[in-house]
Amino acid sequence: MTEGHDDIDDRSSAGRRDESRDRDGSGTDGQRPWQGERTVEPPNSGPETDSADPAVTSERRLQDESTAAVSIAEEATGADDWVDLGAYLPSGETLLSGEIPAEKLHEYTTDRRSLNPLVQIRWALRVIVTALVAGLVSVWGLGALNVAPLWSGAVTGALLLVGFVWVVLHYRLWVYQIRADAIYLERGVVTHVQSLVPYVRVQHVDTSRSPVERLLGLSTLVVYTAGSRGADVSIPGLKPTEARDLQRRVKELAIEAEGDDAV
Amino acid sequence: MNLDYRSVPYRILENAYRIVGIVVISALFSTGDGGQGSAGSSGMDLIVLVSFVLLGLAAVAIWELAYVKRYEYSISPDTFDIYSGVFSRREREIPFDRIQNVDIAQNVFQRALGIAEVRLETAGGGETEARLRYVERQEATRIQEIVSERKHGESERDPGGSDDALFDLDSSELTVLGLTSANFNLFGLVVLLFVVLGTPVAAEQVSPRLAVLLFLGPALAAVALVVLWVLSGIQAVLRYYGFRLVRHEDELRYQRGLLQQYNGTIPLSKIQTLMIRENVIARAVGYGNLAIETAGYAPGQGSDDIESAIPIAKQARLFELARTIENFGEISFSRPPKRARVRYVGRYTIVVGILVALLGSVHLATGTLADWYLGVALWVLVPPAAHLKWANLGYYCDDNYVITRSGFWTRRTTIVPYYRVQTVSVSQTVFQRRRRLGTLVVDTASSGGFWGGNGVALDIDIEAARQLHETVHDRFQLSARERQTTKRRSVRPGD
Repeated sequence: MTEGHDDIDDRSSAGRRDESRDRDGSGTDGQRPWQGERTVEPPNSGPETDSADPAVTSERRLQDESTAAVSIAEEATGADDWVDLGAYLPSGETLLSGEIPAEKLHEYTTDRRSLNPLVQIRWALRVIVTALVAGLVSVWGLGALNVAPLWSGAVTGALLLVGFVWVVLHYRLWVYQIRADAIYLERGVVTHVQSLVPYVRVQHVDTSRSPVERLLGLSTLVVYTAGSRGADVSIPGLKPTEARDLQRRVKELAIEAEGDDAV
Repeated sequence: MNLDYRSVPYRILENAYRIVGIVVISALFSTGDGGQGSAGSSGMDLIVLVSFVLLGLAAVAIWELAYVKRYEYSISPDTFDIYSGVFSRREREIPFDRIQNVDIAQNVFQRALGIAEVRLETAGGGETEARLRYVERQEATRIQEIVSERKHGESERDPGGSDDALFDLDSSELTVLGLTSANFNLFGLVVLLFVVLGTPVAAEQVSPRLAVLLFLGPALAAVALVVLWVLSGIQAVLRYYGFRLVRHEDELRYQRGLLQQYNGTIPLSKIQTLMIRENVIARAVGYGNLAIETAGYAPGQGSDDIESAIPIAKQARLFELARTIENFGEISFSRPPKRARVRYVGRYTIVVGILVALLGSVHLATGTLADWYLGVALWVLVPPAAHLKWANLGYYCDDNYVITRSGFWTRRTTIVPYYRVQTVSVSQTVFQRRRRLGTLVVDTASSGGFWGGNGVALDIDIEAARQLHETVHDRFQLSARERQTTKRRSVRPGD
């Protein structure tokens, strides 16, 4: 963190110096900006420009801050209750720090949440379809073996029973949490999986709604990473507004994390 | 720029067999349907067949000519642009800094013609981003050079960069490679096939008492093993003949192959994971191979087969070479708890049980395997098998890398730098829960096929797994942040 701060100071002061150079015309075009950063102010630049410069820049900064304040106000009064993060931060620190300040983090993170109970209906529908298909197949299969069709009914019934138990358990075990540095997911009845998806690695975030989900008023959040093994993570059973809200949070956090995708 | 015109005849030949095949097959089917087709009309059929073949060939020739004529590529300062397509045109721009590998492939016929295929791989998409089929050999090398030049920015590059030879495959190593590269995935299948097919035959022809304790099946399996061994040995020697790996500034370059020559580059900055693989034979003589995985598709072979960067070398040398790429320290593996081994005993016992049950049901159905229950004797193999499985598992993590190892037939040691981690997860099946075990999966963007790329610590203590989960994640965050700052530092002077 301290390193990051070093960086910021370095960069912002360099920017100011470049500006001053442009104004007094002593900056040569052939010189690269980063070289200017290292060199000391040219000695021949007049003392009065030197003294005037900080005043000008500070004025500028004041202006910047006031425009930032205006933009905050605009954002806050706008229909969108989401406020641009950058506006909150002291100038200079926005883009470079790559971190949301600790006191703002809680606006993004969530507690451990479970899914909307309606998702059970969605899963149950899937179970029913699967059981019916299996039942039909078993009618055909057992018929070939001359077993009474009653058994097919039994197969279907047993599958339904197991399926419904699975649905309830699956729902109870599903937990997600938006953490400060990663999305945390916990799910699975037969194989219980806990995974962390760091924001730095998020490629893009989708919300999707299948016809069944639309009927139930649900939505799914899908988070894509560059990972190889089925690493695309989805959170089913969210209310559409909730899904969009999560999408926004993850998006903002991913932007703030501003890492490379390691590809 | 266009493709080389010599690629037209090659491409025609390449596709001709398909056309001929389709025509012949359709002809066969049509005569089969006709049924009453008498001997008198066969001459007529032949003429029709030949004319169809000729027609097909002509169509292919025209198509290929048009394809080559309408395939253009150009090199702009930042992108590699391709304009292609006969009817539907496609323009594709590939930014240089997104290119993962550049490979040149040349088989015997292409070499005779003096042409080569160039493949540019990026991390996106499911297939090779650009395949230039085919350009002149010198042009291929030029493209390769330009891509690696543009990637680093021309300014900071001295033209005559030196090649630092990392590895040359000598003839004794090539021999070892031939002897040790057996494809065990196939072996298991073949053995199973012959045991299953062989036993009923044995039951009829040899004494029924020996039916289960097998004869013909295993004998056939043994023959098949040897044949497969020889074949895969020859294949490996042909593939890796003349292998040479050099480090050229910040990329690795390799060349290999006798009949099909490959020549590729792997940028060091694109390396995802390293994997050291030692199959059981190689391990016995202290050898192994090293695979370097990127997010681009594995060059050379199909998508399931990862390229090995070092096809064969002594174990110590492998680790030494791996350390020049990723600087990991001494590894001291932690093994999963002993109760994991108990789990494998249970699992293999179930497998043996199923096998015996199968033999029993064969007996019920055919009455040929009176001694089917002797299959239980196979259980003596279970404890050693479980032990071997367990003994080859391991995981280790230091400040920069998480390293996992697994596999008896082919032991894979995967080295994953924290800054390449994409996601981390712990999974626990119901069977693992009973024994308080869990599996840690560290996912990366590497595209190394089914086995590749992911650090998997199998069946470790669930508490340890959860702890490791957090540790890996934290260290990953740390290294990602560190990398970000150093990158910012290093990028700034260039801008």
